[in-house]
Amino acid sequence: MTKILIVAEVKNGEIKKNTLELISFAKSEGFESDAVLLGTEVSVLADTLAGQGAGTVYLGDDKSLEIFNTEQYTALVSDAIHQSGATQIWLTSSEFGRDLTPRIAARQATGALSDVTKLEFNGDEITAYRPCMATKAIQKCKFSKDGLRVISIRSGIFPADESSPSSANTVSLSIPSGHSQLKVREVQVEESNEVELNEASIIVSAGRGVGGTEGCEFVRPLATELGAAFGASRAVCDAGWLPHKHQVGQTGTMVNPDFYFAMGISGAIQHLAGMSGSKVIVAVNKDPDAPIFKVADYGIVGDLFKAIPVLREEVGKRKE
Amino acid sequence: MEIIVLVKQVPDVALNIKVKEGEIVEEGLSYVISSWDETALEAALQITEDVGGEVTLLTVGPEKAAESLRKGLAMGAHKAIHVKYDQAGETDSFAFAKILQKALEGRNYDLILTGRQSQDTDSGLTAPMLAEFLGLPQVTNIIRFSDVSENNITLYRKGDHGTEVVDMVMPGLVTVNDSLNEPRLASMRGIMMAKKKPLEEIDLDSIGITSEMSGIQGSMTQVLQFEKPESRKEGQIFEGDEANTVTQAVDLMVGEAKFLT
Repeated sequence: MTKILIVAEVKNGEIKKNTLELISFAKSEGFESDAVLLGTEVSVLADTLAGQGAGTVYLGDDKSLEIFNTEQYTALVSDAIHQSGATQIWLTSSEFGRDLTPRIAARQATGALSDVTKLEFNGDEITAYRPCMATKAIQKCKFSKDGLRVISIRSGIFPADESSPSSANTVSLSIPSGHSQLKVREVQVEESNEVELNEASIIVSAGRGVGGTEGCEFVRPLATELGAAFGASRAVCDAGWLPHKHQVGQTGTMVNPDFYFAMGISGAIQHLAGMSGSKVIVAVNKDPDAPIFKVADYGIVGDLFKAIPVLREEVGKRKE
Repeated sequence: MEIIVLVKQVPDVALNIKVKEGEIVEEGLSYVISSWDETALEAALQITEDVGGEVTLLTVGPEKAAESLRKGLAMGAHKAIHVKYDQAGETDSFAFAKILQKALEGRNYDLILTGRQSQDTDSGLTAPMLAEFLGLPQVTNIIRFSDVSENNITLYRKGDHGTEVVDMVMPGLVTVNDSLNEPRLASMRGIMMAKKKPLEEIDLDSIGITSEMSGIQGSMTQVLQFEKPESRKEGQIFEGDEANTVTQAVDLMVGEAKFLT
């Protein structure tokens, strides 16, 4: 019988939405699911996972797990796999999931499918669809051997049900001790309390066309007023105008919001691959030949420094 | 410092990619080193220029993949290893990682560097699987490194909630994000010199890879077919005075796309 083990992600003392999405998706397919929850002082969050639909929550709560490290996390997830008897392991294709998915699969001597955007189940057969070649093609894949299936799934594809916490059935994992070739010193958290890119329904992004740090600050209020996440192109982050966590694209965050505003972004291939799944794309750029206009639903050829004040005024009027 | 850089030759995804009858159309494709692997090579060159040592390129692929090795040698790598392999199209990350593991057995290295994913599959699976098979620590998606010493390197990983600063004891495997550097171009002199650098060719037999371990038989997953991504519908372009065009566009966004409603 199919049983899914979902590897939970935590941020700022809360279960991330992408994890809740996976539990809801398992439930909607009629699958039983367990979860594995790792971190420091995370035990209180087990009830959130149970409320969402997880059966047993395998818990690793220890000071040494405060910051993600591949070695300990792989060992703990592997332990949970054996205890739960799961037939499939689901992670999200966050940077956490990207690091862990192949390592877990290899340790279980099995294969993995990563960054999946659509899944179909037919008995034991799984058909997975995943974008490749900078989203210029979609691979339709399957697992070709028997055994455990390890899958990472992109955020924001499946809806998360509304739920309230309920008392969880938990199993504590024993924390592997000692010797590691990796020592994580710190996480340099850049900013917080902002809307996360992969959880946002609206994203406003700044590109090279904003000209510098000041230009970014000129765009930011539009994001704030729309309750949007603030994104950026790679050029903006590499130049140090905004921290790297704002980067949208293949090597930043892959996003698919309801509305994506590209301000002064020309549309490099890796940026387009990371945002062309957005439902509605609005672009402002001086260059009528910018590639971003090929994917834009509403393309405004013009100066963003003139367009943004008008846009903010229009938004203000309509919100009243 | 002995550094292995894993490189993969891939179709240039910046060009038009066509899908027809479940396949990628081969005609018109142009092949390049996967760009994130070039970033890894640039990092390896910087490290050896700084602390000494050699950079060895390693690829698994058909005859044609030697072009990528020559290009990497022209950029400054010292030598290259080519595992000759014609079944790349039906081989998954698991089988590739096994082949790489066997190719590296008995070789001496401090660091394995490669891109965070290859530009053809965008999977990002092979390198961490290889690290597991070799029993090495891994740090993925780095945007900076510092403090390279004989046994240690400090890595700055772009994580989900900030930059994770990690000290790694070598040997280890590291994958890179393109924000790490801008890869250098090969000079004319580099291109000339590359022709004289050692390029070792290896077949599967010699590293103990049997037919059960390669191709479809050695793979755990399989691509059934390729499909076209959903195409976006034609957009509307507004030109002229921003005061007018923005208002016009917002009106339409509200009406057609339920913006702010």
